[in-house]
Amino acid sequence: MPSIRLLHIEKSYSRSAPKAVEDLNLEIEDGDFLCLLGPSGCGKTTTLRMLAGLEDPTAGDIQIGDRMIVSVSGGICVPAEKRGLGLVFQSYALWPHMTVRENVEFGLKLHNMPRDERHAVADEVMSKLAIVQYADRYPNQLSGGQQQRVALARMLALKPDIILLDEPLSNLDAKLRLEMRAELKRIHREFGATIVFVTHDQWEAMTLASKIAVMSAGELQQLGTPDDIYQRPANRFVAEFVGSLPINVIALSGAEKATPLQAWMASVLVELGSPVNVECVGFRPEALKLSHCDAAASSQDLPDRLGTIIDILPTGGNWIIELSVDGEQIFAITGSAPDFASGDTIRLGLQARDLHLFDADGTRINDVQPVLTQV
Amino acid sequence: MVSKTGKPLRAPVRAMSPRVSSGTLHYWFRTKASDPTSLLALGLLVLFLYLIAGPIFLLLSDALRVHFPEQGRTGLPQGAFTSYYLERAMFSPISQAVFWRPLANTAQIAVGAIVVSLVVGAPLGWLLSRTNLPGKRWYSTALIVPYMLPSWTFALAWTTLFSNRTTGGTPSWMESFGFSPPDWLAYGQFPITMILALHYTPFVILLFGNALRQFDAQLEDAARIMGAGRLTIARKIVLPLMLPSLVSACTLIFAKALGDFGVAYILGVPINYNVLATSLFRAISTSQAGMTAVLAGTIVLFGVLSILIDMRLLREAGRFQTIGSKGAMDRTTDLGKWGVAASGWAMFVFIVSAAIPLMALALTTVMIRPGVFTPDNFTLAYWIGSDLGTTALRQGILLTPEFWRATWNSLWIVGSASLGAGFLGLLVGIAVVRAPMRSAGMMLRQITFLPYLVPGIAFAAAYLSMFAVPRGPLPALYGTYMILILAILADQMPFASRAGISAMMQLGKDPEEAARIVGAGWWKRLTAIVIPIQKGALVAGVMLPFISGIKGLSLVVVLAVPGTDLLTTYAIRLVDNGYTQASNAVVLMICLIAFFGTIGVQRLTKSKLSDGLGGK
Repeated sequence: MPSIRLLHIEKSYSRSAPKAVEDLNLEIEDGDFLCLLGPSGCGKTTTLRMLAGLEDPTAGDIQIGDRMIVSVSGGICVPAEKRGLGLVFQSYALWPHMTVRENVEFGLKLHNMPRDERHAVADEVMSKLAIVQYADRYPNQLSGGQQQRVALARMLALKPDIILLDEPLSNLDAKLRLEMRAELKRIHREFGATIVFVTHDQWEAMTLASKIAVMSAGELQQLGTPDDIYQRPANRFVAEFVGSLPINVIALSGAEKATPLQAWMASVLVELGSPVNVECVGFRPEALKLSHCDAAASSQDLPDRLGTIIDILPTGGNWIIELSVDGEQIFAITGSAPDFASGDTIRLGLQARDLHLFDADGTRINDVQPVLTQV
Repeated sequence: MVSKTGKPLRAPVRAMSPRVSSGTLHYWFRTKASDPTSLLALGLLVLFLYLIAGPIFLLLSDALRVHFPEQGRTGLPQGAFTSYYLERAMFSPISQAVFWRPLANTAQIAVGAIVVSLVVGAPLGWLLSRTNLPGKRWYSTALIVPYMLPSWTFALAWTTLFSNRTTGGTPSWMESFGFSPPDWLAYGQFPITMILALHYTPFVILLFGNALRQFDAQLEDAARIMGAGRLTIARKIVLPLMLPSLVSACTLIFAKALGDFGVAYILGVPINYNVLATSLFRAISTSQAGMTAVLAGTIVLFGVLSILIDMRLLREAGRFQTIGSKGAMDRTTDLGKWGVAASGWAMFVFIVSAAIPLMALALTTVMIRPGVFTPDNFTLAYWIGSDLGTTALRQGILLTPEFWRATWNSLWIVGSASLGAGFLGLLVGIAVVRAPMRSAGMMLRQITFLPYLVPGIAFAAAYLSMFAVPRGPLPALYGTYMILILAILADQMPFASRAGISAMMQLGKDPEEAARIVGAGWWKRLTAIVIPIQKGALVAGVMLPFISGIKGLSLVVVLAVPGTDLLTTYAIRLVDNGYTQASNAVVLMICLIAFFGTIGVQRLTKSKLSDGLGGK
């Protein structure tokens, strides 16, 4: 099984426009289930399409195993139809004028596979994906979930080593998403393929991927496991992009007079030994420990602070709590019903391991502080 | 980063490569220039430069070059630059007859047609789109019938009904009824204006009606809530927003009336009443290349001007459309007791513009003396009789070999031209939408649009100046089937390529890319994916040019010779011979093909005629 390497990949659509992808270096190891995650326009889909051969990089090399498939300076560009990768489109891109079976067999036919063998392969793949009963239907007679299974079957019939998926779960409803998520994980196990997929949806990324590459503005921000990405974001962008409820970020400079939150964070940093270069501090909503103000603070904790509950928003299983610290708004989230009410004054506590410190460039600097590295 | 096998990740740069960019150049060639779509775009560009841009350019340049017969008079060698023809057309003693009077006539007819069709069409457009007019659905097809049929059909019907003894030939119905129509009613400006007006009224109904239908009733409601009365709303809100669609209809009618040849030829020429198109026809048929070019250039100039105005207005209309949302649009005005009156008015328009002309044509073909309703006057001889006592045709039209030859010619010549136009249109669509070379696509789009600016008769003149002598790989084509096929094909390219482009725009790239991924090359993607998916669009792209080609006259009247007669030119030849019944019979056949063809295409593509209108 091959690994994939992207070296100094760059893509610009016109001279004047900013580059869609800039100096991207990425190694995808054999058997990875890698997610390219980022907001729309970050270059993730362009990257996937460059891998597939549907978009040509303007600089850089792409290597699959020992095979160089793109080298701009070397004059090499293997066309998409000769790369032998599998790709499932976000729209599924089923051919409307062919039945399900014809869709699945089209690629096999192009590879001159004899009729009987073709049928057998198609039957096998279709039954694996539980669509064999729809073999003679046309795509427009199928539901969205069934269409996606056909798209998967069409791709799997050719048994590619590398599978590319464009927003694989985004067009499905909540129940189908769970089903398809399990299906994709099973495909990853059974076919042993390297899978690369693109999404803007962090739920999709977190639940599926073994590794996530977060991209923004054409550049790779962080490559790591889902846990890494969530718990040790490499920079402020990653910290703010990941997390269903946005992380609380408090910039330390800016205002002439320190705001209440800035003052709190300053006292927290003193407790941590005043690390240098810290420009802002972030903590996730669930890191905020809420307790009644008459409860005693634990001695290991950092300095705490009093706040007022503005509103409690139940989201079914979780409770988002909107808080005000002397007029400044922050959010907390709890997994069990809070025993507070709007207007209550409560104590807000933090633990050192939950803090993310960033410097002026937004780069994470926790690791220079010994006290914070023990996660 | 180092790969597992320990090789350096960067590809070893070829040490011997003389320049850094040679690899990059190679890469560019691999990814862009060798894409077959680019080659397709370039190939089509060359083809249409040859078939469209070349003839038009040659025609226009003919106006400024000395031709063989005028070498003596100008004292210049053949091909030299001259303003002789321009001066002759505009300032010589004959300029009144060949240029200025036809120009004035054309302008008066066009303006008259616009005014009449606005007055008749706009209220009908409103009735059909925003009221509960009884029989609305039926009317919305019936009132469009005049547009489905060739305009000169109605000119023939007019002569059948109103011609007087000025020109001789078969007497008209009016003469049979004992009433001799005055010349102003029988020939010239009045009938030509009325016929063009009725023929193009459907334009106004469709364009104005569509605009009204898309008009967001919330805009009216908003004004009403602020206290505006009905009249104020109509004047201050609705009319300003409708203005672009109305002016657009006007410019379209103007452009069409400018190039309309058949009506003026049938109703004007017999009394020496000329418009630009007939003056041009005379110049062509007397082989005056320079004069032909000046007259054709004038028509093209006005055509271009009106289209430019139209495009500008449409752009402005587009600006308005973005503001309005598609709110509650289905509101209809209750006509109440006025419904019957309105319906009567619509019925009157239908009867005058479609029923009477067609009935007159049809009845004439079974009457020995037109308009005489006695039992012994009815006969099927003109259809299936033999040994008729006339010199022009000795047997009924259905027994005449020339008729069947013309029918066959029409079917196969127009058929192959439309097949070619349909396929080339789809290929243009692919090239324009998919080729990585944007500029080639843009040029292709503009060149294939050019014939739209050139009325048929001028385009035919262009084809004569291009292909009457051997040029490029083709021998001299005048008098051959080939020139008809090529000219009809090129003339239909604006519609065909537009259909192809819009079909390809609607088809996302995904199906083709999916085929690429599973290993399909360019040709396979074209034949196994794109063409099958575009089957419907392709059928429409062939059928629409076919219908418009079958009924088209002004293009082929210049290019067809007796040996290559089509139904339309055959009918005109019969008219020239004064053989009314036979020509009416042929025209009826054309109408049948055109009418059922249009209905068939609408069924097939589930589209409306209005969708193809108005420069969308």
